[in-house]
Amino acid sequence: MSHRNDVANGDAMNTGYNDGYNFAYLDEQTKRMIRRALLKAVAIPGYQVPFGGREMPMPYGWGTGGMQLTASILGADDVLKVIDQGADDTTNAVSIRAFFERVAGVKTTTATSEASVIQTRHRIPEKALTKDQILVFQVPIPEPLRFIEPSEEETRVMHALEEYGVMHVKLYEDIARHGHIATTYAYPVKVDERYVMDPSPIPKFDNPKLHMNEALMLFGAGREKRLYAIPPYTRVKSLDFEDHPFEVQVWDEPCAICGATDSYLDEVIIDDAGGRMFVCSDTDYCQSRSGSEAQLYDDPSHDGQPLDRKPKSAEEMA
Amino acid sequence: MTQFDDSVRVHDWPALNDAVHHGQQVFRQLLGAMAEPGSLVELDMAALPDGVGIPSAAWAAVLTLCDLDTRIWIDARIEASGLAAAIAFHTGARVTQVAEEADFALILPSTLGEPLCFAEGIDAYPDRSTTLIVAVESVETGEDWQLSGPGIPDRRGLHIGGDGVTALMQRLMANRTSFPCGLDAFIAAGSRITAIPRSTAIMPSVNAPQHAEEEVA
Amino acid sequence: MYVAVKGGEKAIANAHRWMADRRRGNRQQEELGTAQVEEQLGLAVDRVMAEASLYDPELAALAFKQASGDLVEAVFLLRAYRTTLPRLAETLPVETSAMHIERRISATFKDVPGGQVLGPTYDYTHRLLDFMLLAEGEVPEPARAEEALEACPQILDSLDAEGLIEQEVDDGAMPYDITRDPPDFPVDRATRLQMLARGDEGYLLALGYSTQRGYGRNHPFAGEIRQGSVEVEIEVEGFDEPLCIGEIMMTECQMINQFAGSRTTAPQFTRGYGLAFGRNERKTMAMALVDRALRAEELGEPIQGPAQQAEFVLAHADSVEASGFVSHLKLPHYVDFQSELELLRRLRRGYVQQHEEAEASSSEASPAGQESLRTAVEEAAQ
Repeated sequence: MSHRNDVANGDAMNTGYNDGYNFAYLDEQTKRMIRRALLKAVAIPGYQVPFGGREMPMPYGWGTGGMQLTASILGADDVLKVIDQGADDTTNAVSIRAFFERVAGVKTTTATSEASVIQTRHRIPEKALTKDQILVFQVPIPEPLRFIEPSEEETRVMHALEEYGVMHVKLYEDIARHGHIATTYAYPVKVDERYVMDPSPIPKFDNPKLHMNEALMLFGAGREKRLYAIPPYTRVKSLDFEDHPFEVQVWDEPCAICGATDSYLDEVIIDDAGGRMFVCSDTDYCQSRSGSEAQLYDDPSHDGQPLDRKPKSAEEMA
Repeated sequence: MTQFDDSVRVHDWPALNDAVHHGQQVFRQLLGAMAEPGSLVELDMAALPDGVGIPSAAWAAVLTLCDLDTRIWIDARIEASGLAAAIAFHTGARVTQVAEEADFALILPSTLGEPLCFAEGIDAYPDRSTTLIVAVESVETGEDWQLSGPGIPDRRGLHIGGDGVTALMQRLMANRTSFPCGLDAFIAAGSRITAIPRSTAIMPSVNAPQHAEEEVA
Repeated sequence: MYVAVKGGEKAIANAHRWMADRRRGNRQQEELGTAQVEEQLGLAVDRVMAEASLYDPELAALAFKQASGDLVEAVFLLRAYRTTLPRLAETLPVETSAMHIERRISATFKDVPGGQVLGPTYDYTHRLLDFMLLAEGEVPEPARAEEALEACPQILDSLDAEGLIEQEVDDGAMPYDITRDPPDFPVDRATRLQMLARGDEGYLLALGYSTQRGYGRNHPFAGEIRQGSVEVEIEVEGFDEPLCIGEIMMTECQMINQFAGSRTTAPQFTRGYGLAFGRNERKTMAMALVDRALRAEELGEPIQGPAQQAEFVLAHADSVEASGFVSHLKLPHYVDFQSELELLRRLRRGYVQQHEEAEASSSEASPAGQESLRTAVEEAAQ
């Protein structure tokens, strides 16, 4: 009975939470391959490590990279939170959460503070993350230089030589044309003064949260077969210029539901006349401020009641 | 450390309790160690047979990270306890004699005093490097080595006990000049492990007299 | 009243149920069996197997049925299944020279050793709708030769003997496995062929066609197209000879292309190669054209057409990757869109402000003011 590591699949089948697939779907050999790559990613912050990405039972572009990382790190006692656009109740977040409930039987939650692993698409939660949490980002195009230089052969050399002048030229062209840097999301950063990195399509509002965060941040791009990381307490700087310093979005009004003035707001069209309101994109943050309780799903078979969010009346807000 | 014991057979070496969950737990601890260099982590691993040349934490790391797709280089002084056969039996990993081919290297601190070329990766692919798993006598919080860099809020101090520690640390200090190429190290003593990746800056403490002694020796 | 956009699991489950109902269609019609798909829609099954890189007609038929006949979706289903399979053994390279021929043609020689074998083909059928099929009439048995065909030598071998065509030599190197390791551009020919073999047929067809129209022309002749079953063999410890574990249907296309040669090598024909599971003639022909086009650099040809640009061709050939990334645009992008909205509004405010200032100054001092307005507007519009 050599290679015992691989005999493990049978064990998972006896626990009854899946359909004959291994715990967290991926086989152990694939997990080890990803785990080894993750260690390299953490050791070289911001560097994109190529990995043998596998097909997942979800389409490429829908979070297969993030899912492979989550599957490789997830344990039976983890509590998982999945968000898309900051919300736990968007279709893709619901679908990915249901997937891990099914194939790993883990507890899931919508509460940022309860989660040990958070998989996200396009946002970093508003509530500060802590030391024992891991944030897993879904990444569509991991290469920050891709839209300037489409060839992988070329961009690899640019990273190797630390030749990032083209990126500054691109940002500066924006300023010349519009008076502003016109990149509003997937805004490039420099990690620990070495690698220029794509933080995934988070709004630039979230970029400051990358800097010296207490949580480990992992990034997975399934289709492009790259993963990278920002360890906790790592310096992360958004690219900018002395005369055009980096700045984040601001809103003229607070969240219409919880009144927050420090969170990223989604615009919602409320009538045919073009009326609109602004509400927190982070649903857990909004609920925790407006008083309704987040749900801890400890029954994997729950049917995921949609979260009820209603705007406060004017009196409540006042 | 160099005790030779021919009677240790491959199945005397413990396996993971259960490769899926135990392997996951150890990996998360190793990931945490690498993400926070110099932090100390206790790995849950059954006792190893008497007289073997590596700490149980190093063995747990090997079982967790190695398989048919990896090549391991083993210092002959550790190998003497039947380790290579045990690794092949438990993980399927291939043992290599060529240091620069190795994905992992099981070594003693003094191994790095020898003219060996482990892979450090290349500028375009710095990840193509050897990860060191170093067996030491002790590792604890201390003042000898001050670590800073990603994963460390301010500074973290380590004391590492054993022969040849200076050779090890000097080699890891050199990582800063070759970055992003370099060697990442797990350092294990007993059931305890810590990590020093290539991104970490290391300063020897001026008040640590044993360094000078060691270098002379 | 504002209601948040919600996608509860219930909504997703109901969508799947509706989809299953649509797939089943009118219950008064008999349900389509996978065995029927496998037997009667074999070319669809073959395409699914080829692009999924998994030879299993039954499961390919199931995927086709489950996908309501959407080939790209069926390929994805089978691919996702394939990735969960353990790797029990590695086969030896299949020997297509020893193929049990069902069809074999050459466009380069009128007659060849072993003969031209037309086999089952739509070629030379008149594309007239056969209304007999509407009536579900019985089909007569095919005419069969008394004896099975002998294994035929490869036609290109005869050119090879004369040195007229470049030799393909097995250098014994272990090929890179694209299903295990990420492609590392630039990639070698063995890797390119793997990527083309699972590439989308429509995409390869368009690229191959583009070379014929001058975007990287390489003067192809269909040297040989053969289709039939080949034995799959593995080596087993304790046995001297390889063991045959089964037969699979394959199609192979060898294109003969215009010469290469230099001061040091005599002019020779060059080759383009295509190979696929099942009966996939169009695919293998297109693949052979693209393979040859991708050899431009190696053969010292100028790179002028899209089909010659390896990274472009290969990075976009996989239908599972492509359809996933295109379809992901359906996912919510509220947050990024909001970022763009915010910026756009800010830029427009700036524009209007500039415009108004210009107007104010023009009313004070025209016509010079008119001129400055025009300049301001032009600048803003650029």
